Amino acid sequence: MLLAFIEAHDVCFAYDKKTAVITGLDMKMAAGSFTAIMGPNGSGKTTIGKLMMGIIRPDSGKILIEGDDTRQLDLGQTGSKIGYLFQNPEFQIFSHNLYDELTFIPRLKGAEEKSAALQADRLLRLLQLEDKKDVPTFSLSYGEKQRLAIAGILMGRPRYLILDEPTTGLDMVRKNILISILMKLLDEGTGITVITHDHRFVSHFSGQLLQIKEGRIIETGIK
Amino acid sequence: MRPVLNNFDVRTKLAIVACISTTAVVIQNAYVLLFLLIVSIVLSALFYGDLLKTIKATRRLWYVFFAIVVLQSIFNRSGNALFDIHGFTLLTDVGLLKGLEFLLRISVIIFSATIAASSDHREVVQGLVQLKIPYEIAFMVSVGIRFLPLLRSEFIDVITAIQLRGVDIRKIPLTKRLKVYSYIFTPIIAGAVNKARRLSTAMETRAFRAYPERTSYLVLKLVLKDYVVMIITLVCTVAVFVLYYIFGFPGRIL
Repeated sequence: MLLAFIEAHDVCFAYDKKTAVITGLDMKMAAGSFTAIMGPNGSGKTTIGKLMMGIIRPDSGKILIEGDDTRQLDLGQTGSKIGYLFQNPEFQIFSHNLYDELTFIPRLKGAEEKSAALQADRLLRLLQLEDKKDVPTFSLSYGEKQRLAIAGILMGRPRYLILDEPTTGLDMVRKNILISILMKLLDEGTGITVITHDHRFVSHFSGQLLQIKEGRIIETGIK
Repeated sequence: MRPVLNNFDVRTKLAIVACISTTAVVIQNAYVLLFLLIVSIVLSALFYGDLLKTIKATRRLWYVFFAIVVLQSIFNRSGNALFDIHGFTLLTDVGLLKGLEFLLRISVIIFSATIAASSDHREVVQGLVQLKIPYEIAFMVSVGIRFLPLLRSEFIDVITAIQLRGVDIRKIPLTKRLKVYSYIFTPIIAGAVNKARRLSTAMETRAFRAYPERTSYLVLKLVLKDYVVMIITLVCTVAVFVLYYIFGFPGRIL
């Protein structure tokens, strides 16, 4: 049995403290493994992602990241272990241009300008954004913003990824590129949780599948 | 607290806010400003204005206000020295009073605004329209008010996004933190402008301003109690001005 990287124990959560969005959530995500969280609109998938990251805290129960309760961790600590892709990539893009978006955080953390630039160039090439390096971020299309947000996450070389609807706005070619990137990361030992509706996208991976309905896991499976 | 006076017309509330704010701006006297602050707080509570929420939402602004108070106190040279270092006067009694007056004035303006904010934004727009302000301007005011919290939430989102990339803003040195804030300032403004542009496009596509005359499902009607409150407000405002300018009441602290 692989060691759990993220685990949830009897987690309940409500946004307005009245209507429960998540009830009795129990799950385990092993380090280096693939998990898909699937379910209809409004079933609580994104809320689970936010709970896993510690962006919101459970009303009861607990979520552990490598054994540490998310209530005891600040976002910076969680963010250094887990890369999180928001459902809307616009929420996580904060720089003038693509190059700055990728290099600002490493520079802030004290990384060398040259190594950050090399890594940024590599990721921009990988995600087919190299010709937009100096373009203002707000002029990008949705799909381009999605790819930029993914590149931003990968800059930090996290050990685990939580991707909320990563294929939204991506065409088939870019979707295939994303699949190959994620497969490579899995091979390298990075754990991945994907929150999605896209059955075809999930079918490329083998791992755990959690089916969510009305804030509960109604089905778990291994594929 | 239960709403005691919440079913008043928004124009009545706007009249109260206008009277209180104007008095606070025109009369520069700490006693009067303190009186207006107490009146604003009491009225806000009676009209069910959310004072605590407003204080919380504007808490970062208060740091700026306090910084202005300190600067204003330090750079005002008139009056008697209260604190000096080797003959260099750092603080005078007049400077301190001016700083205090500034803080009181800002508090009065913000707290009195919560009286009008207790009405639904649709009512505010309709109230302004019925005050013969063009609909476009009234709508812009309403959108502007709604954009302020949006700007704040945009700022919080960006800070969260930075933290989620492994940086704990609270733990990095102040110089780096300032660098982060200055770095994200322009993109946040650009993002807000972009959102405004999208909103305007969405409004145009839904035929905003397509016809010169607009009808409204919501029509506000002033009733007797609104007129009574408005008259009382006006009389009280005039009384404050008469007492202050003609009878010199209350006197100045310094």
